[in-house]
Amino acid sequence: MNEQNDKKINRRQLLTRAGKAGISIAVAGTVSYLLYDTKGPKAGVEDENRVILQDFSVQHRLGQTMSIAKGSDRVKTVDKAIELLGGIERFVRPGETVAIKPNVAFASPPMLGATANPELVAEVVRLCYSRGKAKKVIVTDNPINDPASCFTLSGIGKAASAAGAEVVLPKAHLFKVTTLTGGQLIKNWPIFFEPFKDVDKLIGIAPIKNHHRAGASMTMKNWYGLLGGRRNIFHQDINTIIAELAMMVRPTLVILDGTEVMMTNGPTGGSISDLRRANTLIASTDCVAADSYGCTLLDLKVSDLPYLAKAEKASVGTTDYESLKPIFATVS
Amino acid sequence: MKIVQARRISQVFFFILFVWFCIVSTAGEKLWQLRGWPVNWFLQLDPLVAIGTMLTTHTLYRGLLWALATIILTIVVGRFFCSWVCPFGSLHHFVGFWGNRKKSTPQKIQLNKYRKPQCIKYFILIFFLFMAAFPSIAASLQLGLLDPIPLITRSFNLALLPIVDRSVNLISAAERFYEGAWLILVIFFTAVFLNMVIPRFYCRFICPLGALFGIINRFAIWRIGKKQNECVNCKLCEKSCEGGCEPAGSIRISECVLCFNCLDDCKENIISYQTQPSLAGEITNPDISRRGFMLSLASGIFAIPAVRLSNKLGSNWYHRVIRPPGALVEKEFLKRCIKCGQCMRICPTNVIQPAGIDGGLENLWTPVLNNRIGSSGCQLNCVACGQVCPTSAIRPITLSEKLGTGAFAEVGPIKLGTAFFDRDRCLPWAMDKPCIVCEENCPVSPKAIYTQECFNTIRDGILTVKKASSITIETIENNLSLDKLATGDYYCAVEGDKPRKIAANTGNTIVISSDNQFEKIPVPGGKIKIQVRLQRPYVDIEKCIGCGVCEHECPVSGKKAVRVSAEGETRSTDRKLLLKH
Amino acid sequence: MSVPGRVKRLESAISICLLAILSLIGVGVFIKQFNYNMSRYGIDTTAIPKLETQNSKFEIPFELSSLAPAGFEMLSKVEVYNSENLYEKINGKAPLYTESGFEELFTQRFVSINDRSLWMELYAYDMSTVKNAFSVYSVQKRAESEAFLPMQLAYKTGNALYFVHGKYYIELVGSSESGELFSAMAEAARKIQANLAIDHDSGITEFAVFPQENLVAGSIKLYLVNAFGFERLTNTFTAKYRSGNETVTAFLSKRADSRDAEAIAESYRNFLIENGAVIKSTTNKTLEGKVMDFYGATEIVFTTGPFVAGIHEAENQQAAEKLAEILINRLGEIISSANNE
Repeated sequence: MNEQNDKKINRRQLLTRAGKAGISIAVAGTVSYLLYDTKGPKAGVEDENRVILQDFSVQHRLGQTMSIAKGSDRVKTVDKAIELLGGIERFVRPGETVAIKPNVAFASPPMLGATANPELVAEVVRLCYSRGKAKKVIVTDNPINDPASCFTLSGIGKAASAAGAEVVLPKAHLFKVTTLTGGQLIKNWPIFFEPFKDVDKLIGIAPIKNHHRAGASMTMKNWYGLLGGRRNIFHQDINTIIAELAMMVRPTLVILDGTEVMMTNGPTGGSISDLRRANTLIASTDCVAADSYGCTLLDLKVSDLPYLAKAEKASVGTTDYESLKPIFATVS
Repeated sequence: MKIVQARRISQVFFFILFVWFCIVSTAGEKLWQLRGWPVNWFLQLDPLVAIGTMLTTHTLYRGLLWALATIILTIVVGRFFCSWVCPFGSLHHFVGFWGNRKKSTPQKIQLNKYRKPQCIKYFILIFFLFMAAFPSIAASLQLGLLDPIPLITRSFNLALLPIVDRSVNLISAAERFYEGAWLILVIFFTAVFLNMVIPRFYCRFICPLGALFGIINRFAIWRIGKKQNECVNCKLCEKSCEGGCEPAGSIRISECVLCFNCLDDCKENIISYQTQPSLAGEITNPDISRRGFMLSLASGIFAIPAVRLSNKLGSNWYHRVIRPPGALVEKEFLKRCIKCGQCMRICPTNVIQPAGIDGGLENLWTPVLNNRIGSSGCQLNCVACGQVCPTSAIRPITLSEKLGTGAFAEVGPIKLGTAFFDRDRCLPWAMDKPCIVCEENCPVSPKAIYTQECFNTIRDGILTVKKASSITIETIENNLSLDKLATGDYYCAVEGDKPRKIAANTGNTIVISSDNQFEKIPVPGGKIKIQVRLQRPYVDIEKCIGCGVCEHECPVSGKKAVRVSAEGETRSTDRKLLLKH
Repeated sequence: MSVPGRVKRLESAISICLLAILSLIGVGVFIKQFNYNMSRYGIDTTAIPKLETQNSKFEIPFELSSLAPAGFEMLSKVEVYNSENLYEKINGKAPLYTESGFEELFTQRFVSINDRSLWMELYAYDMSTVKNAFSVYSVQKRAESEAFLPMQLAYKTGNALYFVHGKYYIELVGSSESGELFSAMAEAARKIQANLAIDHDSGITEFAVFPQENLVAGSIKLYLVNAFGFERLTNTFTAKYRSGNETVTAFLSKRADSRDAEAIAESYRNFLIENGAVIKSTTNKTLEGKVMDFYGATEIVFTTGPFVAGIHEAENQQAAEKLAEILINRLGEIISSANNE
C-alpha cells in the first residue's frame, strides 16, 4: 500500500520535473529561434538610428531677406536689423521653442571677438521672449574646447541664463548619426541633434572672423558646431564641409555680427589688435548672402571663399546679395 | 559493458577528436589539414559561447546552434558534458586519477568531499554573465578567459602544439610563434597540476561552464541516487566521485558530473541512475549565498565600466592594436571574441598574435597583428581567419571584399592600418644607404610605397681633382676604400655637371661608367662630390592597406624603420586618416 | 571493485547504444571533412594578385562605351574575371567555361537613359579559339530559342541574345522582355560585330563536313570533352537531321589519323557494350558490326578515314542507317577532295 502511494508520489514528482524540464527546453528553443542569425554581423554602422535635422526656415518674403544695421551698440543694431525684416514676430510665434546657436567655440573672453558677443546673444533671447512670446529659448553649442569653460569664459552662459534662456551643454547621448542627402562627407556622421529635435525655430549668431584654413568664419562655418565625432578630419576638405553644413542646416534666421571684425589670426585671435571696428550687423534668412556681404568687411571677395560658390551651386542661397535688395539702416 | 567503460571510451573519443581538430587546423587539402574538418565543433557545442554572444549581441550566430543540443541534453539527463565530452574535464579526470591513484581509500574519500569553495564557480559565472549583459553601460565578452573549451583550445593551439611541433615540423613547415603564450601555458599547467591536490580542481571550483550546467540540470529526468535510504555507509561511492557531490548522503545534483564511478563502486548495488530522487535525499540548488550572488552581480556590472575608464575604446586607443581583416569595429569585436585562438592557429603567415593588455584589459588574448613575427605580414590573397572564427568577431569575408574588387570595387579594399616611415631609422632617409626592400615587397598594385630620387654627398665626399680623363678622375686625397663605390649606387658630381655613375674606384681614382662619360673633362684643382643615389620611400596613404609586409621585410630588424599602426583602418570611422570622396 | 553480475542487461545495452552514437559522430565528422571549398580561404600562393580591372592579361579589346546602343549609357564599371574568380560571377557554370579553354570574361551593363528599369548586361567570354567559343555556345543553347537571323551563329530568347564572334562567346541579357530593350541589344550585337576584331581565317570546317540535306538549322553542337558521357570522345560535333516526323542525331569527330579514329571508335563501341548495348544485325553491309541496340535506341559508330562518326540515340533503325550511309558518303567525298588538293 505504502509502496503504491510511494510510486504515485514518485510518478507525480517525475511528471512535475519532466514538465519543468520541458518548459526549460521550450524556453531555450524559443530564445534560440528568435535570436538565430545565419548572416552574421555587417561591417558598417546601422541605418536604423539615423536622424535628419528638420527645416526651420520661415516663409520667404521678397525684399525682407537681408538687412544691414550700422551702429556701435549691438543691442540697438540687432533690434533694428530684425525689425527691418518684419520683427521677431515674423520668425517666432507665441508658444514656440527657439534654439539659438551662437559661436561659443573657444574658452575666450568676449572682448577678443573669437566668440559671439554675450550681450548680443542675451538681446536675441530677450526679443524671443518679450516680443516673440516664445515658450522656451535654449542656447547651445558644441565647442572645440571644454564646453563648460567655453560657456563661462565667453560670458555667453551667464548672459543667456540671465535673459531667461536654458543653456544646454553637449553630452554623449545628445549626438545621433545622420547622413546628408546629396552629401559626400556627411555620411553616417554623428551630429549634435537632441537639443534641436523638439525645437520650432533655430537662430544662428556668429561674429565675422578671418579663418586660417577656410578663409573666413561666419554664419555658415558657425554650423560646424553641430558636427560630432572626430570632426577635424573634415579640415582636409574644408570648403565642401562648410557647403554641406549649409545644406544640412536650414535656420530661421542668422545674425552676423560685424561690429568688431577679427581681421587677422583667426579663428582664435588673441589680441585686440586683431580686431577692426566695422560697426555693421547683418540679419538674414539666407546664410550664403549674409556671408557674401560679410566677407567684404574682411576685405575679401566672394571668389576668395570657394565654399560660397559651392553652397550657391547646391541651391542653399545666393552670393549675389544685391539681388535680394538688402535693407540698410543706421542706428545712432 | 559497464557504463563507466562507455564513459571512458567517450572521454578518450572526444579528447582524441579535440586534439585531432587542433592538429588539422592548417589550411590545406591533405587529410591531416583543414579540408572540411569541423574544427570549431567543440566551441560551437559550448553553451557559454552561445549564451555569452546572445547576451552581448542579441543574436545566436549560425553554428552556435549546436549549443542548444548540449543544453537540451543537459536539461534532460544532467551534466553529461563534463564527464563524457569536455576534453579539459577529461584531462583533469585523468591527471586527478593518476596523481592520486596510490592513495588509500579513506584518503580518496576525503579528497572527494564536497567543499564550500565549490560555489566559487557560480560566482565566476554570474560575474561574467552580468559583464556581458548590460549594454547601456558596457557589454563585453570576457567569458573566454575561463570558459574551458576556449581555454583548452588556446592552450593546445598556441602553446602545446607549437612546442611539440618545433622538433618534428609535421604540422607546420616553420616554427610557429605566439607572443606571450607562456602565460597561457602556465595557466593551463597550473589548472592541470592542481588535480594532484584535489581531483578535478578546475571543474569543481572554477569552471563557469560546469556552473551553468549545475544550474540547468535541476529538472533532469534521470539522476544519480540511492535506491534505498539505509545502506552500510561504507562510502565507497565517494572514493572516485569526480564531482565532489557526496552521493553517500544528500547528493548535490548540481555538482554531479555523471561519471557513474559511484554506481560502479557500490558493492551493494544501491546507487543507480534513476528517475526517482535519491532516497537518501538530494540537494538540487547550487550552494551559493545571497551575499555571494549580490557580490558577483555587482562586480560584473561595475567591472567593464571600470576598465573602460581608461578610454581605450575612445580617443586613447592603442595604435598597435591592428586587427585581422574582416574584424568588426572594436566595440562590436569585443562583444564576440572568445579568445579561442583559432584565427591565430589558421593564419598561414603566423602574423596574428594573442594580444597583451597594452590595448586595455579587455584586449587580453584577442587577435592582433604583429608584423615582426611570421613569414610576411598579412598575406594579400588570404581570408582564412574570418572563415574559422566561430562567433564572427572576424567576419567571413570573401577575397573580393578584402581586395576591393568585383562588387566591392566602389568601396575599395579593406585596410588594416597604415604604414608610417620612421625617417630617423630608415636607411635611405637617415643613413645615406640605398635600400628599397619595402617598395619591392609592397604587394598591392599600384604599389603603396613609392620613392623619390635624391643625391646626397657622402661623408668625406668632397674631393679635389689631381688629373682627369673623360672617364677617370685621380684625386689628391687617397682615402677611398677599393671598389666601395662600385655598387652602382654611387655617383660623381662635378660642379655644374650632373652626377655620373661610378663604375669602379681605388684609393684615389674614380672610374665612371663608359656610357656616361664626362662631357667636359674636370679641371685639376676643381672639387668633385661623391654622391650616393638614394631612393627615399614614401607611403601613399590612399593605397596602403596596412598589410605589414614592408614592416616585416625592413632590414632594420630591431625597431623597424617602417611600422604599421592602425590609423586609417577601414573598420572604424573614428580612426580614419583620410576623407574619402 | 564492482559486484560480479551487477552489470545488468539494461546498463550494457545503454552503454552499447552510447558507443554507437559515438561512432555515428565519428562517421559524421569524417563525412563532413570531404565537404569543403578551399577557395573560401583565399591563400593562393601561386597567383599574382590582380587588384584592379586594368590588370587583365589581355587588353579589353574594344572601347566599351562605343558599344552602348542609342539611348543607353554604361552603368557601373566593367568587370573582368579570369579562371580563378570566374565562379564569383557565374557560380556553378564556371567549370563549363574553365574546362573549355576559357581565358577571360568581360562584363558591362548598359542602362536606358530614359527608363532606368531597362538595362542589359554584356558578357564577353574570351575562349581562346573559335571552336571553344562555339562549343560553349552550342551546348548551352536553350531549347526554346529562335535563330537570330542577322547573324550566323546566334540565337535569341525572350530577353536575351547569344552569339559567337570569333573566339568570343557573347551573351547579352536584358532585364525584361521588352521589345525596345531587345532592339537595343541587337544594336549592341551589331556594334560588337563591327568593332571587335577577330581572326576571320579561323572558321569551323566541320560545319561544311556535315551533309546539308535535311539538316535542322542551328542544331550543330560541339562537345569539347565527354561527348555522350564517354571521356575519349573529345572534340565531337553533333547535328540533328529531319527524318519524316522525327529527328535523328548524327555525330562526327576528326582525329589525328585513321588509326586513332579506329581506336576511338572501337573503345566507344566497347564502352556502349559494357553499359548494356547489344550488337544488332543489319542489312547494310558497310555497317556490319557497327550497329547496336542500346535499351531500345539505335547507336551506330563507324570510322571513315580520320573521322569517327555515327548516329546517336535514334528511335528508328532504318532512318539511322540511311543517315549513316549518307554520312559515310559525304565523309568519303571530303577525304578524297582533301587528298586531291
